[in-house]
Amino acid sequence: MIEDLVFNLKVAYARLWVRVKGGNREPHWILTEVTVPILTLSAYVYLYKMLNAPAEFAGFVVIGGTMIAFWSNVLWNMSAQFYWEKETGNLQMYLVAPISRMAILLGMAVGSIVNTALRAVAILAVGILIFQVPIFLRDPAVAVLIFVLTIVALYTLGMLFASLFLLYGREAWHTVSLLQEPVHFLSGFYFPVRYLPFLIQLVASAIPITFGLDGIRRVIISGETAIDVLPHVAALIIFILILMPLSKLALNFMENLGKKEGRLTLRWQ
Amino acid sequence: MAVSTIFRSVKQAIWVGWKVETNWADPLVFSIYYVIRPLAGLLIVGFVFIIGSAVAGSFKPEYFAYMFIGNTFFIYVLQVTMTMSFLIHEDRSHYEVLKHIYLAPGSLRYYILGRALNGAMNASISLVLTIGLGVLIFQRLLGINIPIDWLSVNYPAVLLSLVIGTLCMISIGFVFSGINLLTSRIQFALPDYVSGIFYLLGGVVFPPEILPSWAQSISNALPVTYFLRAVRSSFLAQAYGSFSVDLLYLALTTVVTAFVGAVVFKAAEYKARRDGLIDRKEEY
Repeated sequence: MIEDLVFNLKVAYARLWVRVKGGNREPHWILTEVTVPILTLSAYVYLYKMLNAPAEFAGFVVIGGTMIAFWSNVLWNMSAQFYWEKETGNLQMYLVAPISRMAILLGMAVGSIVNTALRAVAILAVGILIFQVPIFLRDPAVAVLIFVLTIVALYTLGMLFASLFLLYGREAWHTVSLLQEPVHFLSGFYFPVRYLPFLIQLVASAIPITFGLDGIRRVIISGETAIDVLPHVAALIIFILILMPLSKLALNFMENLGKKEGRLTLRWQ
Repeated sequence: MAVSTIFRSVKQAIWVGWKVETNWADPLVFSIYYVIRPLAGLLIVGFVFIIGSAVAGSFKPEYFAYMFIGNTFFIYVLQVTMTMSFLIHEDRSHYEVLKHIYLAPGSLRYYILGRALNGAMNASISLVLTIGLGVLIFQRLLGINIPIDWLSVNYPAVLLSLVIGTLCMISIGFVFSGINLLTSRIQFALPDYVSGIFYLLGGVVFPPEILPSWAQSISNALPVTYFLRAVRSSFLAQAYGSFSVDLLYLALTTVVTAFVGAVVFKAAEYKARRDGLIDRKEEY
């Protein structure tokens, strides 16, 4: 049991190492992943400025623009990852190796978090400095707690999507594309979600980042305390408890179906 | 090369592009896919506008119309530049057909042109659907007054601006294709940079006049600024510039961009052939 655990932790570390090394092997990628989100969020900050909205809205945009880095990473580097692995021929090696596939996903997730956190910190710092965002952080520990819960919930969702996207074959690219702007809108990446019509808020509540983003903004920008964001913490914990076993189920289902139909390693489909 | 051969190459490339883009879904699913992204983008900016106006206490419909037109027509920039930037990598490394296309009668540049025109065609589908649904959502459902008289729009002027604007975007796309013939590492970054810079500085969702002066100077040199001004002049009663002047600037910047695109692509193609890069497969 312990031997298995240690062995699979080594597997996770190995996948993590590849992810960290691979994600940072081209310095211009890091530059792009920091610069492009800043360009986009700047456009929204200027739009709020043109409308004479209060300065805290620039803060909402900067926090949202920072969290987009994680959402994009979950989509492209977690959800679509098994699909890319299939295309490049790595997936079959994962499947024949005597390892837990969950360990692979865990390593991928932790490596992605490390890579994205580096970029997110840069986006946040530059955004705050350029736009002089007002910060009213009274409870840093709560902000860290919500952030960690959000990231765990998001990457667990990514682990679930990884198996589902593989089943969709070549639609993976399109599915990832479909989950970008619509989720940016629904989860309120550029405005507080409470301003949206109730029905849209209801739909948005099915996405973990909606709660995470709103909670982080309330604590960092609006200066709210632990009591105010308790529902956000509870919602994120529920998401994690539901998504974790679902991701394991989806992984087993995908693997069994793939073996039965013999198309798990078939490229270009 | 005979004009008929060029025409046939372009036509077949448009057809191939259409098949590649659409063969994963039935027409209904494809239409939904092609409208959801731009529509969600429009909803984001629309709600930023509505919420920002509400907290500031004043709503200016003429600026909403400014944003509405700018954001919907920006689809052309996104679609054409993305199509042309991913094309070389996809055909060389993913589908592994670039070498065959290169050796076939006709020419790689006419194939790329055809694929770009298919991108523009898809953008047109997105544009029509997004405008229709955007008006339905904002004007009918949310009761926002969009001051556009759809019957008195100068459609020939819109079409002319679109043709020149699309040519300009295709020229930028040829720069991307040329660069991507030489490397397989920046095909995803190139359109992101260009669309990000254009979106911020091109007067897409707000007038460039609110930007710092140095940024306004850059904005004045971008073709997308004149493309969107020319389109807006044709749609909106309130003048944001003179249509003929904006069209002239758009034509001038397009000529410059086309020259740069042709030179970069020719040089890249020569180097790629010399260095054996046409069929070099990389897993980036």
